[in-house]
Amino acid sequence: MVFSRLFFIYIFLPVCLLCYALARGTKHKNTVLIIFSLIFYAWGEPVYIFLMLATAAVNYTAALFIGKYQGKVGDTAATITAVVYDLLMLGVFKYSGFILENINALFSSSLPVPDIRLPIGISFYTFQTISYIIDCHWEKVKPQRSFKDFLLFLTLFPQLIAGPIVRYSSIEKEINERTISMSDVSYGLNRVALGLAKKVLLADQLSLIAESFLGNIGGSTMLGAWYGAIAYAMQIYFDFSGYSDIAIGLGRVFGFHFDENFDHPFMCRDITEFWQRWHISLGTFFRDYLLYVPIFGKRRKYGGLFLVWLCTGIWHGANWNYIIWGLYYGLFIFIELLIGKKKMKVIPVFIRHIYSKFIIIIGFAIFYFEDLGKLGTFFKTAFGFGKNGFIAVQDKISFVNNIFLIAAAVICCFPLIRSIKDITDRRFAAKATMSSAAAVVSALLLVITSIILVDATTSPFLYYQF
Amino acid sequence: MSKNKKNSDAETDKNISAETNKRPEPAISIEASDRQGASIDIPIKAKKSKKLRRKAAMNNISLANILLLGAVFAGGFTYVTLFPHETKADDENRYLAAFPKFSIKAYTSGDFTDGVADYFDDTVHARADIKQFIADTLMPLKGMKYGGEKAELYGKGFEKPVTTAAAASTAQRTTATTTQMQTTTTTEPAEDTAADGELTNNILIVNKRGVNLYGGAWGTEQEYASYLNAYKEALPDVNIYSMVLPTASSFYLPDEYKDLSQSEKEDFDRIEAALGNIMSIDAYTPLEAHKDEPIYSRTDHHWQPLGAYYAAQQFALTAGVPFPDISEYEKVTLPGYVGTLYMYTQSATLLNNPEDFVYYKPKTNVSVTQYDTHFGNPVAADLLLDPSQMPNSGYYMVFGSDERIVHVNTECKNGRNLVIFKDSYGNALLPMLTGSFENIYLCDIRYFDLNAAEFIKNVQATDLLFTMCSFSAVGVNRHCIYNNLIK
Repeated sequence: MVFSRLFFIYIFLPVCLLCYALARGTKHKNTVLIIFSLIFYAWGEPVYIFLMLATAAVNYTAALFIGKYQGKVGDTAATITAVVYDLLMLGVFKYSGFILENINALFSSSLPVPDIRLPIGISFYTFQTISYIIDCHWEKVKPQRSFKDFLLFLTLFPQLIAGPIVRYSSIEKEINERTISMSDVSYGLNRVALGLAKKVLLADQLSLIAESFLGNIGGSTMLGAWYGAIAYAMQIYFDFSGYSDIAIGLGRVFGFHFDENFDHPFMCRDITEFWQRWHISLGTFFRDYLLYVPIFGKRRKYGGLFLVWLCTGIWHGANWNYIIWGLYYGLFIFIELLIGKKKMKVIPVFIRHIYSKFIIIIGFAIFYFEDLGKLGTFFKTAFGFGKNGFIAVQDKISFVNNIFLIAAAVICCFPLIRSIKDITDRRFAAKATMSSAAAVVSALLLVITSIILVDATTSPFLYYQF
Repeated sequence: MSKNKKNSDAETDKNISAETNKRPEPAISIEASDRQGASIDIPIKAKKSKKLRRKAAMNNISLANILLLGAVFAGGFTYVTLFPHETKADDENRYLAAFPKFSIKAYTSGDFTDGVADYFDDTVHARADIKQFIADTLMPLKGMKYGGEKAELYGKGFEKPVTTAAAASTAQRTTATTTQMQTTTTTEPAEDTAADGELTNNILIVNKRGVNLYGGAWGTEQEYASYLNAYKEALPDVNIYSMVLPTASSFYLPDEYKDLSQSEKEDFDRIEAALGNIMSIDAYTPLEAHKDEPIYSRTDHHWQPLGAYYAAQQFALTAGVPFPDISEYEKVTLPGYVGTLYMYTQSATLLNNPEDFVYYKPKTNVSVTQYDTHFGNPVAADLLLDPSQMPNSGYYMVFGSDERIVHVNTECKNGRNLVIFKDSYGNALLPMLTGSFENIYLCDIRYFDLNAAEFIKNVQATDLLFTMCSFSAVGVNRHCIYNNLIK
């Protein structure tokens, strides 16, 4: 089930919230959450839900063994078994087609390529179980004895299918002991409304621009290619951070405090900083669990770095452009590492801003084009070697037609809410006014978003109609 | 003593706590030094109580916030579930999603759960009014119209195909595939973006008219011609004609926007040069001559039947067959028509400027049989459909869907049998040729499940007409022409 549809917002969610409010005590509330989470997942994956439950069972059991044989061989064996199982599942369901296609291409073999549909959320929940197992192995957390509580951690529907990658350690205590204050609930609901608005009012509208200029790159001008790529970069940001907002907001309504996943990434001054602000839960996952894998010996600083970026790329999708995308970022972080923090700071801030945005926008273009031929056309066009010139009337029309949307999107890339809050928090009257205004604005955003969603089922298509 | 002090301390504590419970207004009393009994009370706010009050105020705001959003959720729930559900969308030419039937198979495939969600999303009460509000009020907030002609440009979005009005209700679903970070969109093979510079899928709205911008053939016109030449090789005794039809792109772009589209005429000329022993029919010239008449829809990507009349006239002239004057037809006008371009763009400009849809009924008797795409399951039918039987008035209403083979037997006994291979533009030609051929077989190139050459021999066709708009002839649909020959 997708968050940004009326069925979720006005049927699934209200019923879930009502049941949750009516349930007395944390135990019953947890039961309600598990039931709704399983319904939520099974809605999109009536069959693959068993795969997720199996993953839950395997990891739960492995963690119990880890606890029992702490520091002994059994501990290591259970850790390895669980991690291998998790990676194997991810490999089979996400990458087998891609791997076999490439083997066939490389050796001109004709191994049958399986047509496996990607189970929703597998990339996210697999990483959650891996982090749980390794944390148990490192004795950072105690293995969860109750399967029900473990299932709650894994299946909690706000974060189940699109992150953030919630660590067991961050919600361990809240599973059985949590207080839900009035301000938690109101904050959470406002955050949900904000996330939905980011997704529907900004990301979905920007996608129309991105698609018409990048989707048709052969017909785009140089300026059109850049315009499309910028729209796409913002689209992905609002789309993904909107989803994270909804997840964090819903978590808060239920009394959980998930870590932030985005911190205004376009405010970064270099690529290293970008990745400290973009999809934070993924970056910290790789930092904590992969960067220190001692396979590169003394050179692990750089070797590990490229391994992390290779994995980041692969994680995003089974396609070469994602791998290139990951390594592309790895390369710039490597260069920044060579220059060193001190020397980087000598460079004027505005130059660092231009440099980082330039790299990021090209990065998103790489992310967009799964077809490497078209990626080539993009590069040719964007750097002035395209066949459609610098600017054409369609660029101007589209820009004027969308000028307020683009302005709003650019403004929303700045930490606007935080800045306002910093000022209003100093005086009580201002703080109270701001909170009241936030309530009204959230309600308005939710209503407007819902109205737009009424039309989201229209699915026009051109070629076939002729 | 110490015990007493303890007691009195305890008592004081009690008093304090009792006082706090009652929350009296705290005050400092200052007595005047010179007059006895005269004192003033200066109320003060205890620091703690101020904090508490602020906390209570914030709590109230939070509560109001929760109630406000709760009211939106409750209102939305009521609206989506209890208000009457819509069943058809006139502006989109389709029936809305129906509540799915449960079966184990439907459930395990995910179709059932998807269907339930689609049903609630799709059939929202007063959907058309809400859509109009979006088009009129919300979408214009995105920006301004461009230039003196007030132009709006629409590109292609994350879209799923709708094949025909009939198939639409099942095909409706916009899946936001952002649940995984890949954010890939599902594109059906036929929609697959064309090769570089081959086609654009953009629509310009200018002068209250939507125009699909023609992206040019870039070599594919040679393929179209070669496919037709292959038909001539397979069917040497049949007269074969090619009539590629221009679209509004050729005639209605103001000079300022001409650069947005490629020249259809130049591609037509290239096609003509590449055709072998095939008669090329120039529909461009007569259509251009009549471009000030309503020969193309303003709100639909199709032409109007009047345009088809002029094109058919040109064809009849080349084929050497009789051609009745337009006065021989009964003219029917359907006002208030808003066509497919509104569906694609959701532009308020089109919605608020509907047009007349005018079609022509032959006065002569014809017998019409509809077949499936295998030329089986014949059903007697009318040449033109009954407007009251369709979800909306418009091009598809009058000319039906494309997924069928239509056979028309006419009163014109000249022994000429015509097979037409067409796209949806060709539908409008059929009524205009009922006075010209004895038998007409109308087949859609995209929905044809037989070997074309065998079919043409079977029905003893004397003439074979390929007619489709430029987008089909040079776009992905062109491959269907050849595929039908080798099936």
